[in-house]
Amino acid sequence: MSVASGTDEQVQRLPVRWAKTPFYFNSAEHLVRLEQARAGNLRELHAAIASCSEDSVFQHTFRTLQEHHFIREGYSNDFAQWAYFACNEPALAEQLSAVDVREFTSIRSLRERLLETLADYLKRNSDVRERTAREPFYFCSSSAMIVPTPFVARNLTEFAKALERINVHCLHYHFIEARLRLQLKSNDFSLWLQQQMGLNQAADLINRIDIYTTTLQGVRNRILRILETTVA
Amino acid sequence: MQPDRHEHESGTSQRKRPLTGSGRRPPVSTDAMPAVERRQTPRVRSPISDIPKPIKLEDYGAVIGVAELDELRFLAQGLRGKGLQVVNPPMFTDGGKGVVKRLVSLLQELDVPARIVVPEIVNDEQLLGDLSAAVADESLAGQKRLKDAVLAQSDSHAKGMNLDEPFVVIHDLPYAGVVKPKSRNQSWIWRCSFDLSQPGSSNWSWLKPILERYDAAVFSSQRFAPALSIAQYLFYPCIDPLSEVNKSLDPGYVQQVCERFGIDRSRPVITQIASFGAANETAGVIQSYQQAKRDVDCQLVLVNSGDGHATDTATLSEAKAAAERDPDIILVETRSASEINALQRVSTIVVHMPSSELSGLPIAEAMWKGKAVIGSAVGVIPNHIIHKITGFLVHSVDDCATQIRHLLQHRDIAEQLGHNAREHVKENFLITSSVKRWLLLFQILSGKPARS
Repeated sequence: MSVASGTDEQVQRLPVRWAKTPFYFNSAEHLVRLEQARAGNLRELHAAIASCSEDSVFQHTFRTLQEHHFIREGYSNDFAQWAYFACNEPALAEQLSAVDVREFTSIRSLRERLLETLADYLKRNSDVRERTAREPFYFCSSSAMIVPTPFVARNLTEFAKALERINVHCLHYHFIEARLRLQLKSNDFSLWLQQQMGLNQAADLINRIDIYTTTLQGVRNRILRILETTVA
Repeated sequence: MQPDRHEHESGTSQRKRPLTGSGRRPPVSTDAMPAVERRQTPRVRSPISDIPKPIKLEDYGAVIGVAELDELRFLAQGLRGKGLQVVNPPMFTDGGKGVVKRLVSLLQELDVPARIVVPEIVNDEQLLGDLSAAVADESLAGQKRLKDAVLAQSDSHAKGMNLDEPFVVIHDLPYAGVVKPKSRNQSWIWRCSFDLSQPGSSNWSWLKPILERYDAAVFSSQRFAPALSIAQYLFYPCIDPLSEVNKSLDPGYVQQVCERFGIDRSRPVITQIASFGAANETAGVIQSYQQAKRDVDCQLVLVNSGDGHATDTATLSEAKAAAERDPDIILVETRSASEINALQRVSTIVVHMPSSELSGLPIAEAMWKGKAVIGSAVGVIPNHIIHKITGFLVHSVDDCATQIRHLLQHRDIAEQLGHNAREHVKENFLITSSVKRWLLLFQILSGKPARS
């Protein structure tokens, strides 16, 4: 029995709560643009992160999670990946990996954290500042278009059913990118469940799902399980 | 974008010897070793039906999901009726032409009227067929030759081609000079399929101003892009999951292919599919296999597939000699897309060790089959292989041998790499992703609001 159908049967036994504001599932499609900025060593990386566009920081942190949505663990952001494999600096890679995009509601603050992490490391390890990386870091950015989906939810059953059917890009848009849009340490799903369905606990549990130890498909499954448990 | 495979059956193997009861082939004496022989056994029936059903956009729904198809339809909405002309040089490989043709047909299904234009080359076809080398040539003679060749094409064709649709895509250099001055009614896009990251300075002085007349440029890898003042986008070369070389195969056919080439499926199979030669490090792959085999049992299948590089006869001789000494080295000659498909599917590990790589299609094909892939860290390959996540990037023969040994002794890791590899291709390297990128680019160039 699918989670949605189980949820459906259980919800049908309860009075249906209808949202005042339906949830419209949207997605975002991105086109990667090549930027001129490159970094051949860690000092250059620091300088380039300081001066690159916000789109670029977004591409290499938030967006890369969508591009690599199928990776369960071991890939946090492009900067950490480069530090490990091109620069052979595992300690720095670990510190950069620990930068969790869910903590940030603006690219500005995310950029500051990245720079702080790099600067601290280079201060303690000045001998690696100029060491040439195995290959340069190529900065990119992305242009996006919002794409509507046919899915709209006016109650919890419809919400769960839609969640089963949307693609991972839609998941990324509502669950990960939403933080920047909302400027809140939350996501579209949790906010709707809280504000429209009164499901504060479920909303909180969903917001706590660790995106770095599971795939986006795994995130979907966990959300569905939380919803199933909520109506049980 | 580039190579697909030809559609005919011509596979031969170095030899066909029966398996012993142990499943291992008996040692072969040099005196008894036949030369590369034509296939004597009945032709293996290809799984291709006599009249292939035309592939439609909706057929990709089974691969990428209906939601993705809906997104493509949405992205195409604002472009309906806006024509696209794609100018291809005639020296494109048949595979490259096939990919562009499929791309155009999918766009047409989305009501974007697209057509391919293939003008003649008026001079110096050989030069224009090897663009990376031509552009990098610093000599004055080389510069003059390339400039004359490119400008001759544009002078000859500029007026005759009637490139007047809202979107015009020019592939590579031969016709790069036909670009018209910027206008509101047209968007010109230059699609570069080679490495332009280090153009010779003398060539760059005349080429750069031409390229900067375009509205956008597209490259296969961030590593290939030069410094240009126009917008540059990243479009990975993509594979068609429904083509002969990538589609699902009947298990019976796969087994027949193995039996014909003498591949023992009960034992690990390391495969390289590339023309034999230094460009593809054939000798290095054999060495890696030999090193790994000291610790783990395996077979090496070397498929001479005609991937655009000429077969090096010296390398072929060395490979034959190695195969004669080792019954677990199997040499295969084939251009058949179905046979290549089958050989990729029975592999435990696929190795691809070129000295340069512009398209990455052999890698993408193997990854699409969920195989653990080991590739040299050159060209576009690092975009396909995220080290230790979707495969292994290596920098030497020794490194390759180590990774082969590691994967054969940790099959769970190989399986996870293969799983990730397929997902990575599904997300980034399928032709439907290419269609999406083109639609997004057309939307952006049309001035549609793109959120950054």
